[in-house]
Amino acid sequence: MAGSTLEELKQIVLDFDMDKAEAVAKQAIAEGADPLECARALTDGIREIGDKFGTGELFLPDLVCASEVVKNALPPIISEIEKQGKERKTLGKVIIGTVFGDIHSIGKSMVATLLFAAGFEVIDLGINVKSEDFLGAVREHEPDILAMSALLTTTMMEQKNVIEGLKKEHLRDRVKVIVGGSPINQEFADSVGADGYGATAPEGVKVARKLLNKSDKGGG
Amino acid sequence: MRRGFRLNFEPVKILTDSQIEAIHRASLDVLEKTGVKFESERALKLLEQNGCMVHYDEKIARMPPSLVEECIRKTPSSFSVKARNPKNDLRIGGNTLYFMSSAGARYTDVETGEVRMATMEENDQAVLISDALDTIDFFPSYTPYFEIDGVPPVMLCPTSLASRIRYTSKASRGAQATDTYIFETQLAQAVDMQLVGVCEAAAPLSYPEDAINAAFEYAGAGFPIYIAAGSVMGGSAPVTAAGATISNNVELLAVVVLIQCISSGIGICANDFVTPMDMQSGGFLFGAMGVNLHQMAFNQLWSGVYRIPTVNTGAAFSNSKLIDYQSGYEKTHTAMASALSGANIIVLHGGVTAELAYNPILSIINDDVANIIGRTIEGFEVNDETMAVELIEEVGPVPGTFLNKTHTRVNWKKEYFVPEVADRLSYQEWLQQGRKSAIDLARERMKEILESHHPDPITPAQDRDIEKILEDARKHYRKKGLM
Repeated sequence: MAGSTLEELKQIVLDFDMDKAEAVAKQAIAEGADPLECARALTDGIREIGDKFGTGELFLPDLVCASEVVKNALPPIISEIEKQGKERKTLGKVIIGTVFGDIHSIGKSMVATLLFAAGFEVIDLGINVKSEDFLGAVREHEPDILAMSALLTTTMMEQKNVIEGLKKEHLRDRVKVIVGGSPINQEFADSVGADGYGATAPEGVKVARKLLNKSDKGGG
Repeated sequence: MRRGFRLNFEPVKILTDSQIEAIHRASLDVLEKTGVKFESERALKLLEQNGCMVHYDEKIARMPPSLVEECIRKTPSSFSVKARNPKNDLRIGGNTLYFMSSAGARYTDVETGEVRMATMEENDQAVLISDALDTIDFFPSYTPYFEIDGVPPVMLCPTSLASRIRYTSKASRGAQATDTYIFETQLAQAVDMQLVGVCEAAAPLSYPEDAINAAFEYAGAGFPIYIAAGSVMGGSAPVTAAGATISNNVELLAVVVLIQCISSGIGICANDFVTPMDMQSGGFLFGAMGVNLHQMAFNQLWSGVYRIPTVNTGAAFSNSKLIDYQSGYEKTHTAMASALSGANIIVLHGGVTAELAYNPILSIINDDVANIIGRTIEGFEVNDETMAVELIEEVGPVPGTFLNKTHTRVNWKKEYFVPEVADRLSYQEWLQQGRKSAIDLARERMKEILESHHPDPITPAQDRDIEKILEDARKHYRKKGLM
């Protein structure tokens, strides 16, 4: 019984079934399924989608829609985890956002979704994020990684501003910094003092794992 | 049957009704007063029996307008072609667009643009690759190479057709060179397929004996006929688009009359292969703007008014010696103008260096071009699902997004065409993956096709029949002293 409930949770992700997501999750909890197992079933589903996106079998709308399913299904499961006093294991916590002056969201959202699919906890600050908001979020959430996106040559220097801000506030050694976006390359990442750079969204995930010494398998 | 593409809107008209009428009337006038030369007693007699005024010494037939218009009416607006595999049968005409492979005399080196004679193996491979390309519906005669190492010139056409029968089950056009039509008809019949026969004029206003004999032979076998009257504007046709349209019209209408007199109601497709002349070298300008003007007028008149299926050869070749920007734009602008104006067949894939060269890598790139053009003329659906009004309201202004909607996930593949070999990587990925161009990607696709594609096989008995017919052809040409 519990097995088939967990299978169904995974299946709604694979079926991109956003409408059913919340009801299936609530049903699973009502039937007494282990909420940690429920969360893992969703993560298994989104990881499968993420892998297929990485190999070119699936596309951006598939990835984003599958992640919507997880977003819709997760709240009743998380609240049950908290109610039972349990703790959800993740690969680590990532804060992500597109820098100030830049309103491009698609690349950043792809990375956020793939990080989530890989088993990270992701806090997405959105687009046009001011330096002080990145710093405030780092202070508040104490993430393992800060990931910043910039799509314009005019906004890429904002990534440097944030890193300088981290230094000034004595936060730099408490968080790893990843930068990305189409004008960014490894040379730029090194020059602004970032810890990592990924040319593509799947590479961004690899870099995140590497920085936290996590293998390519497992998590969730 | 192959689906091809379907023109979903009124074809673009480059001429007014009044201009169309003027060109048609002028064509009838030239046919009646000047007439057309047929280097064949058999053809002249038949035309005389059907009401033409024939001058035997000059070999000229002058045609009454009533006969010309009657023969236009007798020609069907579409006809079927039986391929070696029924899945590849064609129905040419109406609002259907098919693409035909181009050709070239020799094999061109993609890096250097240098040409050399192709080997038999390269010819067979090129046919196999074209068999795998979904947008190639139809093959011309001697495809793709006009010369094959070790094959005597007189045996080229039958040898080429044998290669096409073995390495593709798609439809083919026959050739009209000396007696080849006899053996090509036999080759087609040995595998129970039809050819589209051929009859090509020698502009201005003349038909050589080989062309006429080919028309009689192919029509006698019950094959439809592909008529053509290639001319060069300023050389074998007037330099003006209007004048060249009339002289080309006269040549083609004259052979419509002849073919309908040979076999009433037979299917015909008319090829437009008129190019401006380079006024410095005298060469053909295959990718010139003038080709568009001529082909658009031709399609309007033949597909639209005469209701006789049209073929356009303007996109078949480029004057560029390389697979480069020029060959890309010359082929695409001419093919697009043809498609928008209602052509039924566009000759496109693989030809460069004027008619001198071919390379399958270009055919693979042109496969994407053909899909883009074909999908464009099919237009798009407008209904409740595609208009997505409720969704637009639901998403609302920024930060709303359509990316996380099922509507996007479900519909994008139906609405998009994703090219096989275009480079669409981000700059950084492109650097990482070895800076590959469309040509590099096409080379990779070619390798995949050669490793994995298997054409529909012929039976061992059919293979033996083909060898026997080729041997008969060799004996025939030796006896004639041609090899």
